[in-house]
Amino acid sequence: MNKPKLSSIRIPLLGELILSGGRPVIAIFLALFVSAIIIYFLGVNPIAAYTSLLKGAVGSIPGMANTCVRASPLLLGGIAVAIGFKGGLLNVGVDGQLYAGAAASTVVGLISMPVPPWLHLIITILAGFLGGALWALIPAYLRAYRGVSEVVVTLMLNYVAIYFVSWLVHEPALLFEEGASFPQSPLILPSAQLPILIGRTSLHSGIILGVVMAFLMYLLIRFTPFGFRTRMVGENPEASRYAGINVKAQTMMVLMVSGGFGGLAGAIEILGLKHRLFDMFSGGVGYEAIAVALLANANLIGVIIAAFFFGVLKAGASKMQIVVGIEASMSLIIQALAVIFVIALGLGGSRMKKRRRRSQKNITITETIEDGD
Amino acid sequence: MKTLKDTNSIEYTMEMVGITKTFPGVLANDDVTLRVKPGEVHGLLGENGAGKSTLMNILYGLHQQDDGDIFINGRKTRITSPRVAVDHGIGMVHQHFMLIDNLTVLENIVLGIPPEHPPFLDLNSARTRFKKITEEYQIPINPSTPVWQLPVGDKQWLEILKQLFRQAKLLILDEPTAVFAPSQVEQFFIKLRQLTEEGCAIIFISHKLDEVLEITDRITVLRDGKLIGTVTTNQTNSTELAQMMVGREVSHDRKPRPPSVEKKEVLVADNLCCMDDRNVPALRNLNLTVHTGEIVGLAGVDGNGQKELAECIAGLRQPTGGKVSIQGKPITHVTRDTSLLGYIPQDRHTIGLIEPFTVEENLVLKTFDTDPLTRRGIIRWRSIQNNADKLIDEFNVKTPSSRIPVRNLSGGNQQKVVIARELSGKPALLVASHATRGLDLGAVESVHNILLHERNQGTAVLFVSAELSEVMALSDRIAVIFNGEIVGILDAEGADINLIGELMLGHRETVLNTMQN
Repeated sequence: MNKPKLSSIRIPLLGELILSGGRPVIAIFLALFVSAIIIYFLGVNPIAAYTSLLKGAVGSIPGMANTCVRASPLLLGGIAVAIGFKGGLLNVGVDGQLYAGAAASTVVGLISMPVPPWLHLIITILAGFLGGALWALIPAYLRAYRGVSEVVVTLMLNYVAIYFVSWLVHEPALLFEEGASFPQSPLILPSAQLPILIGRTSLHSGIILGVVMAFLMYLLIRFTPFGFRTRMVGENPEASRYAGINVKAQTMMVLMVSGGFGGLAGAIEILGLKHRLFDMFSGGVGYEAIAVALLANANLIGVIIAAFFFGVLKAGASKMQIVVGIEASMSLIIQALAVIFVIALGLGGSRMKKRRRRSQKNITITETIEDGD
Repeated sequence: MKTLKDTNSIEYTMEMVGITKTFPGVLANDDVTLRVKPGEVHGLLGENGAGKSTLMNILYGLHQQDDGDIFINGRKTRITSPRVAVDHGIGMVHQHFMLIDNLTVLENIVLGIPPEHPPFLDLNSARTRFKKITEEYQIPINPSTPVWQLPVGDKQWLEILKQLFRQAKLLILDEPTAVFAPSQVEQFFIKLRQLTEEGCAIIFISHKLDEVLEITDRITVLRDGKLIGTVTTNQTNSTELAQMMVGREVSHDRKPRPPSVEKKEVLVADNLCCMDDRNVPALRNLNLTVHTGEIVGLAGVDGNGQKELAECIAGLRQPTGGKVSIQGKPITHVTRDTSLLGYIPQDRHTIGLIEPFTVEENLVLKTFDTDPLTRRGIIRWRSIQNNADKLIDEFNVKTPSSRIPVRNLSGGNQQKVVIARELSGKPALLVASHATRGLDLGAVESVHNILLHERNQGTAVLFVSAELSEVMALSDRIAVIFNGEIVGILDAEGADINLIGELMLGHRETVLNTMQN
């Protein structure tokens, strides 16, 4: 039995700080490094490959526009997953919520309303959020009040949403466009379309919405009681219950907000880029959003950086293929490696922390052993 | 006339001689000797922390002794793992079920036994053997039933059958009767006798003195990691055993205090009933009142309803009958009113604190959304920091900063964070559950002083502890809880520790007799 000593209290070391804050950056560099080796063995100078990739992504106005357009849904989807993480939930149903949000905003975007265009747009965007949130209602209820894993239910509902949208745009359902050669909805009204930021590109204002939302959500988590409750429940539901938090209601709300952002990701794809709903339009963006949130370590500001990184890879890949002949799918390999490295670094970091904590707590732990009688 | 038994008979099935085991800072077993004869039921008695679990964990190979020897059937044996223990015919039935609910009875039985013809699992021959054993002991359990469908009593039997199936010759039963109704206990004892008649030896660990007296042949008593003695059951009585267990010396001096002036009822528990997590009645018509300016110590052996009572008071557990109120306000759900109740839960690591959160965040877990910490829906971190600075200063929490994760603090300082939070609202009632568990002496002392200070300020304090000496040192009145009931309330001043010890073991009659004498 020794007295509490100040020396037994440890403040985070500089190295640990770098490891937690800089982990995504280190992971990206490691991924680029390993990919460079692969590219080298494919007979191409990695530097030339990366240069062409960067040129394609940010070397021109259309390239940058393309990068932003590709980053937008990833950013909103990444926010969705990150918020879930904050509340201790793994929402792998962003893809489904994206379809639900897209369908909801398409429906509203097709209805002519006696309101100013900007208001119609806002209503349409809100419809997208609500669509995603309601799609998450089922897993949220089941998780909060019935103890069913949200991972399974959100994942399964992805397929339901995808095929539901598919049905919507096929004859003879609600949104089918007469006489179209492809199963799709009619074009949404111009008043419901997101403004284009730079003429002659497809750069729509969804990216601004995404960045603003990331900051807003950061502030929400950091500076509101809702955010505090979310973090409490995410870190320790039992202690939260003891502190008088309604853990079930909070869990349900967090997953629905998360789903709402998934819906927003779908809404801006329709309102900004596609302007109509069609079969299988997302191509798995909702799953990539999970990777974005993981790469960002569920940090809401980090999500912006991670989404842009993914956007650069996706936008620059075709240029790389044309210039140096490396398949565009190389960008997928880089993405995957970055996520793997960030997870590996995270595991390594928490292991290190645990080991240090163990050595420091050794005495208290063994003191309590005898109480386990 | 004594004749020699046949050649392969031995005097002791198992001997543990001079076992010493230290954990850093704690002497868990100090030169303990335990000898078990073939075919006997050997009781192992002791309070929480007396070293029973450590001793049994050494025997079962979970810990290695620092010193001393173990002899199985007279042969010196080193038990390096539970596997070795099982190979030597030692079977342990833990206090908590070690069963897989979704598997059938038979699957649970064969679990962990290497199959005879790997990789194939021969369930049929196992079924035949299992049926033979159940018929022999007349325990009607269907091997195909999924375990979750079994009543708790059958689960306990299944645990024992698991050991018999492994041909255990020495059974360690840790609190085996806890799950049985009184009528089932009789049956259970009859079958234990049948087991011992076939040469099986049993180590019977229990807090319940009368059961130990009824079923055992000999009893070994431990206290503070030391062997107090081994006695023959029919030559002893409960009073002697209680004295051996509790001891006479009081290690904490009673703390001087001014008399409490004004007495108003704060906590009133009226015929309170509730269930525990297993849905077994935990509180049975419990009545308890705590007044302003007094510390009521709740003494009792762990698991007699203390946790459930504290949770009912905090609104975390719904009573199935009766009422509980604080200052006349009935408690129906978790109260976040910090001026009403402060609650130091029994486990600070998992429910008292959120370990990755910072010290300042942990200090406001119940109040972060109230003025002045939150205004117009916005958390004011400056107020939270000021609040932390004030409390850290007031309660003398040793931390380099209020912004480091609370997990980086020592146990005593973590507990001070919990206490500071719970007292920050100046509650009318403070419930402290095992508030000093796992703390070093210095920290224990400061927790005691804080509680006493609160009492002197007029707070009503319910002090729950399994350590009798601590209860005696701190309380104004002592309420003894046994089996979900308050079996006695005494003035702490001049209370007889042996008397309380017996009450804790449910010996009301003995106590009454002593009092009459």
